[in-house]
This record gives sequence, C-alpha cells and structure tokens, in this order.
Amino acid sequence: MSDLPTPGHTDGTSTPLPNPLSAKPTVIEGRRVLGIVPGKPAAGESKDHAEQDAVMVWPHLLVRHAVVAVATLLVVLIISLAFDAPLREIANPTNTPNPEKAPWYFAALQELLAHFHPLVAGVLVPGAILIGLAALPYIDRSDFIKPKHRKVAVNTFTTFLVIWIVLTLVGFAFRGPNWGWVWPWVEWHGEL
Amino acid sequence: MTIMDRVRNTTVGRSIFRSPDRATDRDRAAGHWSNFFLHIYPVKMRRAEIGFRYSWYLGAISTVLFGSLVASGIYLMFFYVPSPASAYTNIQTIQTEVAFGQYIRNVHRWSAHLMVLAVAAHMARVFYRGAYKKPKEFNWVIGVVLLVLTLLLSFTGYLLPWDQLAFWAVTVGTEMAAYVPLLGETIREVLLGGDTVGSATLLRFYVLHVAVLPVAVVLTLSIHLWRWRKDAMLDTPREEPE
Repeated sequence: MSDLPTPGHTDGTSTPLPNPLSAKPTVIEGRRVLGIVPGKPAAGESKDHAEQDAVMVWPHLLVRHAVVAVATLLVVLIISLAFDAPLREIANPTNTPNPEKAPWYFAALQELLAHFHPLVAGVLVPGAILIGLAALPYIDRSDFIKPKHRKVAVNTFTTFLVIWIVLTLVGFAFRGPNWGWVWPWVEWHGEL
Repeated sequence: MTIMDRVRNTTVGRSIFRSPDRATDRDRAAGHWSNFFLHIYPVKMRRAEIGFRYSWYLGAISTVLFGSLVASGIYLMFFYVPSPASAYTNIQTIQTEVAFGQYIRNVHRWSAHLMVLAVAAHMARVFYRGAYKKPKEFNWVIGVVLLVLTLLLSFTGYLLPWDQLAFWAVTVGTEMAAYVPLLGETIREVLLGGDTVGSATLLRFYVLHVAVLPVAVVLTLSIHLWRWRKDAMLDTPREEPE
C-alpha cells in the first residue's frame, strides 16, 4: 500500500493537501520538472561496493601502480647499495672452473643433466614444459576459477612448480666440485 | 580550481590535453583516451581486480624492472665495447672510474635477476587466479613467450662481463643446445659463431642483448598489455556452481 495521496483525487469534502505528484510543473532556470517518481537510487540500496563493480582506473589503479613502482625501485636501490654485482677474473678458455655452473634459472636443467641423457634433460623436458605451458588454457577449458574446482590442473601445476623450485635450489646451492653434493652452509658454490 | 585545471583550460592546454574537464567520469574517460601514456590502461576495471590480493601487482613489478633495466643498460652501453680485448677492462673501468658506474651496474644485475623472479611469479599468480581462462587464453600464450624472452635476455647479458663466471656459464648453457636432434650442432654454431665461445659469440650475444631481444620484448609486451586492456571488462567465468 502506498501512503502517498492519490494524484488528482478529491472527494469534495476534505481540503486537498499540496500533493507533490499532482503539483503543477515548476520552472527552474529554464528547465521544467515533469514529476518526482519514488524509486531506488541508481547505484542500488547497498552502500557496500560490489567486487564486480567497474571502477575508474584513473585514479584507483594508477595510484596503486605508482606506489608499486616506487616500492620496486626502492628495493632495487637498497639491494644495489648493499651488494656489488660479481666480477670474477677475466675469461680464460684454458681454465675450466669446478664446478661449472649455469645461471641460477637454468640450475634445474643442469641438475637434470646430471641424472638423465642430455637429449631428455636438455631438449625434451624444457620443450615439453614450454609446450605444456602454452597449451594450458586450451587443455583446462572449464569455467571454474577457484582452485578447489579445478584440482587436476592445480595439482599438476603445483607438483611441477615444487619439483622445479627444489631442482633449482639443489643445482644452485647444493652442488660443488664435480657436481657432488655439498651443504651450502659448509661450502658455498652458488653464483649470481 | 587547481592550477593544473587552469593550465588544461588555456588555449595551449586544450590543444595538448583535448578534454580539459575532469568533473565527471565521462570527462575522465575522455581525458584517459586522449593521453598516450594512459591509453595503455583500460578506462575501467572491476574493483576486485585492482587490489593487491588479485594480482600481487607482479605484472606491474615486471614492467617496472624492465624499465629499470633499459635505463641502466643504456647508461652501461656508453662505456662498453663487446670485444674480448676490451670487455673485461671496460667493466673494471665502469666499476672504478665511471660516475655511479658500480651502482648502475649493480642496478642492472639485480634488476635482471629480480625480473626473472617477478615474471615467473606473475605466471604462477595468473595460474592460481585462473586468469588464463576464456577469453584470455591467447594472452597467456603471449606471456609464455615473454617468459622465454626474459630468460634469453638474462642469458645473453650474462656473457657480456667476459669473466670466468660469464664464459663458463654460457659454455654450459650453449652445450645444451647441441643436443637438439639433427639441428643441434647448427644451432650451437649459429649462437656461438664458431666452435667455442669467442669474439664472435660476444658480439652476437651483445647485439641480441641490446637490440634484437629488447625490441622483441617491447613489441610482445605491447601486444600483451593491449590485449589485457581490451579484455579488462569482458565477461569472464567467475561465478561457479557449488
């Protein structure tokens, strides 16, 4: 039931109150208000911002990115003031260091090379990883986003990720002369 | 009215900014579209996707690190000649005589390592977020290409100091290429410009490092960001049945 008076209704006995809905159009600065209609605000009744609402990138994302950029450069500045980039003696093709280490991001591959045939460790594994990564969105076609709804994809990815991190750590820090096992706190052979 | 608003509303300001008003969202969107630097961004994004929890800002961090690498790398190029006779002494000179040389070299070195980490972490975050799902499948593939380019950039740069670390790391790395069936030896010789790491290798890695690969990254990253912008407000699968 609306408690608003019925527009235009008079029963002849009571004095009609001023009725906003039947009021004559008012001229305001050259514009005419045709009527006021009860309803909900366009943004909805809730004051909570919905997660899926669109927000302006300027300034909401830009200010965050500015902070991220400054923080990143600050970290680089501090690391660069604290640690000097390594420079060993000049390259000497006749003097092979022992161990001979690849850059750390190839340490996992180098560790694999110690256990498998080079065709497997140096070609098939990295090739399969890259092809598998590129093909991932075409294999996992489900509409599910949350990890608990796509357990196969998440478990496979996590397994490979953990193996890769472990192999990288082993190759980087736990290998010494002749690619033998060392404890990094006893002797350090990692190179950055 | 701020000073900047006054500037934007002058004749010259209007010719530069085109849409001087910033009162409403519509004005801001118009200003956004007529700004070269802002046009790489979408005008609007979902509230959930601009916070730290969504992306950890790893893509933005990777891009900032790439910028830091370009800036410090250009500075280092002024003092470096890619030849076995001069490369190593150039690095020594950079570290001891060039103004801020040691510091800029440190920035370049650590930014490079951090960028490899940031790009890899970005990929993992996008995976766990399910952000490779339709319609963004192909942008994930472009991201894989960017990961490979990042590793190649880092690896080609590794040789340039021409010290023992550089020389033997690249020797080990390029030996792996030789195991590719049929083409392995050819690939290795094209990379090295000979049988072993030498002056031809140094020049090739230098040209790849300062010209070919950076241009490839800028182009690929442009496509990556362009697609990110276009896809920002597209419908993606997000609600799911319980």
